[in-house]
Amino acid sequence: MIVIKNRDLRSAIRVIVPFVAVPATALAGALVFDRKRHIIVSLAIAVMALLLFAAGFERKTTGSRRLVIVSVMTALAFAGRFIPFLKPIAALTIITALYLGGEAGFLVGAMTAVLSNFYFGQGPWTAFQMLAWGMTGLVAGIIAEPLKHRKWLLLVYGALAGVAYSFTMDIWTVLWYAEGFSFKLYLGALFTAIPYTVSYAASNVLFLALLAKPFGEKLDRIKTKYGV
Amino acid sequence: MRSFAEFDPVAVTVWFFAVIGVAMFCGHPLLMAISLAGAVLFFVVRNRGKRGKSHLFFVLLFAVLALANPLISHNGATVLLVVNNRPVTLEALLYGVNSAAMIVGVLYWFRSFTQIMTSERILCVAGTLSPKLALVLSMSLRAVPMFARRARQVSDAQKAMGLYSEDNIIDDLRGRMRVFSIISTWALENGIITADSMSARGYGTGRRSQLRHFRFTAADGVFTLAVLALVGVVAAAIATGSLAFTFYPRIDVAVTGALGVCGAAAYGALVLLPVIIETEVSLRWKFLQSKI
Repeated sequence: MIVIKNRDLRSAIRVIVPFVAVPATALAGALVFDRKRHIIVSLAIAVMALLLFAAGFERKTTGSRRLVIVSVMTALAFAGRFIPFLKPIAALTIITALYLGGEAGFLVGAMTAVLSNFYFGQGPWTAFQMLAWGMTGLVAGIIAEPLKHRKWLLLVYGALAGVAYSFTMDIWTVLWYAEGFSFKLYLGALFTAIPYTVSYAASNVLFLALLAKPFGEKLDRIKTKYGV
Repeated sequence: MRSFAEFDPVAVTVWFFAVIGVAMFCGHPLLMAISLAGAVLFFVVRNRGKRGKSHLFFVLLFAVLALANPLISHNGATVLLVVNNRPVTLEALLYGVNSAAMIVGVLYWFRSFTQIMTSERILCVAGTLSPKLALVLSMSLRAVPMFARRARQVSDAQKAMGLYSEDNIIDDLRGRMRVFSIISTWALENGIITADSMSARGYGTGRRSQLRHFRFTAADGVFTLAVLALVGVVAAAIATGSLAFTFYPRIDVAVTGALGVCGAAAYGALVLLPVIIETEVSLRWKFLQSKI
């Protein structure tokens, strides 16, 4: 999303962000700013993580076929966000990650967050949502092999991902409201968010149970038929 | 003569990030008041007083956020009343009001942001930054209405085949799942054809262009420079501690020195820039109309 056309700049970002910028921001956050400024640090690190990913993505000569499939999955996930209470975004992200790799999964999660927020409202939380859903996909891509073969493991992963998503977004809520992390407020936020947490976890499990097999077959078929 | 929304998307984005960035990260009560008032004013001016009902939600949200803090935090020197052996303090209440002003203000800025930065503008900004991600975004955007259209076609076909009944919930759900499955297969296959067609036409070989051309004019340049200069003043005031503030144990929000005053004034000017532009444009428009 940021300037990554220049080759040298891209490689610079890939070295600087993880080894210099993120630790430096974290240190500066701990030393220079007092605890009121945790929100800047967390937002800066979220943006840097996305930047790092974008740099890696633009570098690769990703085939246009792969690109199009990612955008189709993004559109499906985006359309699914209009279903009341049950959100298939994480489930579709995980499925994409299983069959097309973690990077594609990250993209589907992150892009869906940006796109759907045109309708549900953009905000500073967009960066966190991108990161949270993106990571859901990335991690699923890393442990794709065991997840593909054991369905119960996939469902457990889906439930955990839903809970983790909710917990991550609550950290953000607390940081934004209190300008500093307060454990008491965080517990309060977790408690009031229980219905959402349950709905995230439940919809992940439900949609993974329903969609994992048919979608896996579809993606596998496309892969063998066209050699994506 | 362009209204603010017609400025170059990059300039508009810079302005939004400047205003929202200060509103989110500064926290000084005076700046929060400016941000909240400016955000509501900007939204009302742009919508010409329409969408009046939607403000009610934000008033409620403001109240809830403002009252939440004194119930949780018991810091502060001025005790207003004691509930359950716990003091409710004036400082905690005002801190809650300040946080609420920050959050509601930022929410209003983002409401205007969503209205102004339509998807084609975002694509313009994203396209200058990373063409590949912009392509993914724009293709997904196009795909959503396409899915809706195809879903209708498929379900019509299913109905004609007698496979789709609506009087039974289980049957209905099964039918919907079937339609969804058909659409996704169609979309994936179709995607491959699109991709091949793109490659055949030379996708990725030259410079990318956009459907709509936004031109970065001199006025955009002046606007961007003005925004950056004003943010510079605000940042200098914050960095030197001229806009420092404390809530606990006692409130101290005094604006110190000329730099502090300049910083607050600069933020006020920054927030009002587009309102001034919009008013100027509509006045001139009225004037031109009256001449006819």
